[in-house]
Amino acid sequence: MILAELALTSPYYLVLSALLFATGATGLLIRRNPLVMFMCVELMLNGVNISFVAFGADLNDVGGQISVFFVLVVAAVEVVVGLALVVAINRRRSDATADDVSLLRG
Amino acid sequence: MIAQLDSTVARPEITWDGLLPILTLGVGALLLVLFRSLMKQLPKAAADQAVPVIGGVTVIAMWVVGGFAGTDVPLAGLRDGLGDPVFFLGLLIMVGLGGWFAQYLRLSVDAALTVMIGLTSLAATWGVWTDRYEIDGAFGLVGDQLGADGFSLVITGVIASAIVLVALLLDDYLEREGMAGADMYVLMLFSGAGGAVMASANDLIVLFLALETLSIAVYVMAAMHMRRSESQEAGLKYFVLGAFSSAFLLYGIALTYGAVGSTNLIVIADFLEQNRLVEDGLLMAGMAMLLVGLGFKVAAAPFHAWTPDVYQGAPTPVVAFMASAVKAAGFAALVRVFVTTFADHADDWQPAVYALAILTLVVGSFMAIVQRDAKRMLAYSSISHAGFILVGVQAASNEGVSSVLFYAVAYTFLVIGSFGVLSIVSGEGDRGTSLDHLDGLSTRRPALALALTVFLLAQAGVPLTSGFVAKFAVIGAAVEARSYWLAIAAMVTAVVSAFLYLRIILSMYLGQAEDDAPTIRVPRAAGLAIIVALVITVGFGLVPGELDDITRDAIPVLIAAG
Amino acid sequence: MSSLLAASSADVPFPILSALVVTPFLGALLMLVLPNGRPEYFKQVAFLVSGAVAGMTAWVMVEFDKHTADEFQFVDSAEWIAGLGISWTLGLDGISLWLVVLTAALFPLTILAIEAEHTPKAYYAWLLLLEAGVMGVFLALDLFAFFVFFEIVLVPMYFLIGQWGHGARAYAATKFFVYTMFGSAFMLVGILATAFLTAAETGNAVSFDLVYLAEEQALATTTARWIFLSFAVAFAVKVPLFPVHTWLPDAHTNAPTAGSVILAGVMLKLGTYGLLRFGIYLFPEASVYFAPALVALGTIGIIYGAIAATMQKDLKRLVAYSSVAHLGFIVIGTFALNTEGLSGGLLQMVNHGISTGALFLLVGWIYDRRHTRLIAELGGLQKPAPVFAAVFMVVMLSSVGLPGLNGFVGEFLALLGAFAAHRWWAIVAATGVVIAALYLLWAYQRVFHGPAEGDNAEMKDLTWSEGAIMVPFLAAIFVMGLYPAPVLERMEPAVDALIEHIEGNVEDFDEADADQGEDLDVDDLKDLGKKKDSKATDESALVEGGAG
Repeated sequence: MILAELALTSPYYLVLSALLFATGATGLLIRRNPLVMFMCVELMLNGVNISFVAFGADLNDVGGQISVFFVLVVAAVEVVVGLALVVAINRRRSDATADDVSLLRG
Repeated sequence: MIAQLDSTVARPEITWDGLLPILTLGVGALLLVLFRSLMKQLPKAAADQAVPVIGGVTVIAMWVVGGFAGTDVPLAGLRDGLGDPVFFLGLLIMVGLGGWFAQYLRLSVDAALTVMIGLTSLAATWGVWTDRYEIDGAFGLVGDQLGADGFSLVITGVIASAIVLVALLLDDYLEREGMAGADMYVLMLFSGAGGAVMASANDLIVLFLALETLSIAVYVMAAMHMRRSESQEAGLKYFVLGAFSSAFLLYGIALTYGAVGSTNLIVIADFLEQNRLVEDGLLMAGMAMLLVGLGFKVAAAPFHAWTPDVYQGAPTPVVAFMASAVKAAGFAALVRVFVTTFADHADDWQPAVYALAILTLVVGSFMAIVQRDAKRMLAYSSISHAGFILVGVQAASNEGVSSVLFYAVAYTFLVIGSFGVLSIVSGEGDRGTSLDHLDGLSTRRPALALALTVFLLAQAGVPLTSGFVAKFAVIGAAVEARSYWLAIAAMVTAVVSAFLYLRIILSMYLGQAEDDAPTIRVPRAAGLAIIVALVITVGFGLVPGELDDITRDAIPVLIAAG
Repeated sequence: MSSLLAASSADVPFPILSALVVTPFLGALLMLVLPNGRPEYFKQVAFLVSGAVAGMTAWVMVEFDKHTADEFQFVDSAEWIAGLGISWTLGLDGISLWLVVLTAALFPLTILAIEAEHTPKAYYAWLLLLEAGVMGVFLALDLFAFFVFFEIVLVPMYFLIGQWGHGARAYAATKFFVYTMFGSAFMLVGILATAFLTAAETGNAVSFDLVYLAEEQALATTTARWIFLSFAVAFAVKVPLFPVHTWLPDAHTNAPTAGSVILAGVMLKLGTYGLLRFGIYLFPEASVYFAPALVALGTIGIIYGAIAATMQKDLKRLVAYSSVAHLGFIVIGTFALNTEGLSGGLLQMVNHGISTGALFLLVGWIYDRRHTRLIAELGGLQKPAPVFAAVFMVVMLSSVGLPGLNGFVGEFLALLGAFAAHRWWAIVAATGVVIAALYLLWAYQRVFHGPAEGDNAEMKDLTWSEGAIMVPFLAAIFVMGLYPAPVLERMEPAVDALIEHIEGNVEDFDEADADQGEDLDVDDLKDLGKKKDSKATDESALVEGGAG
């Protein structure tokens, strides 16, 4: 059994990434405007991207950077679908916030 | 251990015939889009003939694709098969029957095509299973990114079956709600392809992409009902929380990547087997994030908040798909990542899954009791079933994995049957889903009431149904892993859930239907889906040996092609 | 399912025990496909199916070899779920024989005696499914199969109470289902723990075979005690024992007559039979350890049931509480863990099925005629219905335990055994006999004596067909009261083998023997049972071989 230690030189990048992720997560939980919520999701995903890049650089592995491209594509797709949903709801009721979306409850 | 930057990237080795079950779904979806965008409306003369032709083609496609997926020299096999007059005649008769049956079911062209694609994928899965997996064992599909093992094949089979049954349910539903068109089917096929990839993924990034393919299609499906605000609400809620959970999953992937140096599950498992990390904080955080992300997908408490709203709001057949295929794929990922890849860190994640399982069981069963809406009730009950499956995951053993598979298979048919009945009963606009609308169903539609009763009893875990054997297997795995209190907690919450199912049954049998209650029309296709689900539920309850053997053969392994 | 049925006993050309289970099951399915147009056929078909089962049971009773009553006879064994070591194994010994006979006899009589109030198709289908389940419980020699049958009986009974019951039927049915399922939840974990831990201890493959697990006795003492408790909870709910009995009066009161008859006649025995077969046989040490507690609960049940019965205003509820008391006798007899107590308990299971079943039937007929079961509204029924009153008197006295009638033999033996083992509890329990006489006779007096007024004076007497249905009950009451030897001599070897099994597996267990066998003519059979030892092990080897 080898004891492996990965020396990471980039704690600051990781802290930044974690902060961005946390900001996004908090925002998504407390904001009520669907558009802002989407932005928060983007913030979370991009926070993760910073982690990927930082780790990739540390590990000297191209995989980290490549992953970022996949994430960007996914983020774009999510926004497309999300905005379409908001538009669909807005066509029925203008100025929708997440609080108006309340037909469903237990 | 750590891959070096390398300018010459080798082309991954691809096992095309093993990929057929997944390819059928994905390419089928693409072809359906293409077909529908080129030809919005079939010519009148062709439209009448199309459905029986599709029925006949289905039989041939199942045979050909199944043959290609299975044998090593497919063309010779096909030539031999066609040369044999008896076989040829038999095939002709089957083609005729397929055509007649499709006509009899009065399927729309889109539904018929979807059923065809689903059945073909199922045949391909069967071919891969019997002719390759059973003989040579697991094999890689695409380099070290995708692998076919018994586990992924069973999940692929489950997803393909779910697609077939849900397509049968959707056919009349879309007609009834004025939403006829190919879009729902295309989305479902894409989603299913994503699920199948997810079950075979050997890389966390592939897993993430597959999960997104699966989820994004389902977000749209949930919101498809344009005239129902609830449906769009459900879509939006599902979308926001789904994206939220995806971000967690992704962060978990990033942290695991940072800790281990690769996103490839084969590499990760090797690395963790041979090394012990001095600082395992990153890995622990990564595992926690992965658990949260996947926990959202399988609706484990405390990440279940979206489930009741989404299930209540989304079109009922879509809910059937979400509760069966999506959940199965989610658990497939959970098992492959945790039980198989993080096997050497089982001591670290088992307590977390233990806690999740108990919480999920309790929330699912107790919250279900106070609901008044049957769809909402079944949503909570699906949460408690997720808790049961987590009990199997928690065992972190082969026994546990096969019990998870058994549960996933059994539950797929149960839940499609249950929601299928609800979809028929609830009538136009999915309005009649409260318990009151089920009052007196036994006198209005005795067969439907009996079917729903069987499905509910099976969900409660009453013997002679597949639901019981599934619970038995899961509890057995927990007991074998010496998690006695978890097993007892699971059984006690099952009793609490039984109370809920009895409430639904009571309102069907003892309630009085209002005099002006609308007559319930049972479409042939949906009826067939319910009958199939019923036969499988009771059949696997009476003779569970076969399925049990299959799930025992289907232990996930991590393997690269070549 | 027929492909699962394999070898059978030499004298019977087909796997008859599987047939006993499968026939009513198929009958229930047949009921579903019968056309709705001719409702009168449903009852006839149901009667024919249950009659066929009764016929086959009679055959089994004749072919049953009383000299080897301590062995499982007519054993059927086939793989069910090979991967988990689960087999479809059925067998019959002196302990289960009479319960099977009771079941087979009670169902056709019940079907004949009571018309379905509505939807006869579903009603008879559920009854037949119930019969299949009960048969399965008494015959299963595989823990999985036993649990399957033990649970499946809930469903038909739930629907019988819920759909054909009266009053708060939804409440009663749900309570019945949830209570019993709650108990079984623990048992399922216990069953799995037994199988998996035995496999872990012995290194053998997992097996759910009862005989194998019981002979292996591989579990550590403390483990076995915990598992025994998990079984005991399930059986205590089903019996029902004192603190978990509350579902019973509700279920009985609101159930249709047929439901009550079957519930009291055979379903309560599932619990006591389970305690005997899956409690004592599987966990001898634990049952010796917990015997005092169970005897105490049984005694509390006797006294509590008797006092509660005295205070009831509803005739049916009174009989229901008397059931709680009677089942208490069975439990204290069983957990005296000696020959007298065990055979007394066993005999009392059969007796209670006969007399309480008949009592519920009679109460049901009173209700049919008078549309009330309140004792206060009845009175003086003896004048308009003398035959009815006489029959009621006999059945009731059998339930009281009058010497010469069947109730006496079982109750006496059970008390005798308990007296030897737990003297003070037995003395307390004996007062229960007195109270039973009090509340039953008092109820009889209020219902049948005095002036008949209003509708009571118009009460119709027993019809010929009803009388014909009562004949088998009365015959059993008298025969088993006057000459119980044929029944006892088939029971005793099995009971003795069980006690030897305890002695063989529990250190310093000595049977608290009352040594009172002579007057019942069973002493010589005891010795006979001991000589058969070598054969008994052969048989268990055979069962293992068949199941493996």
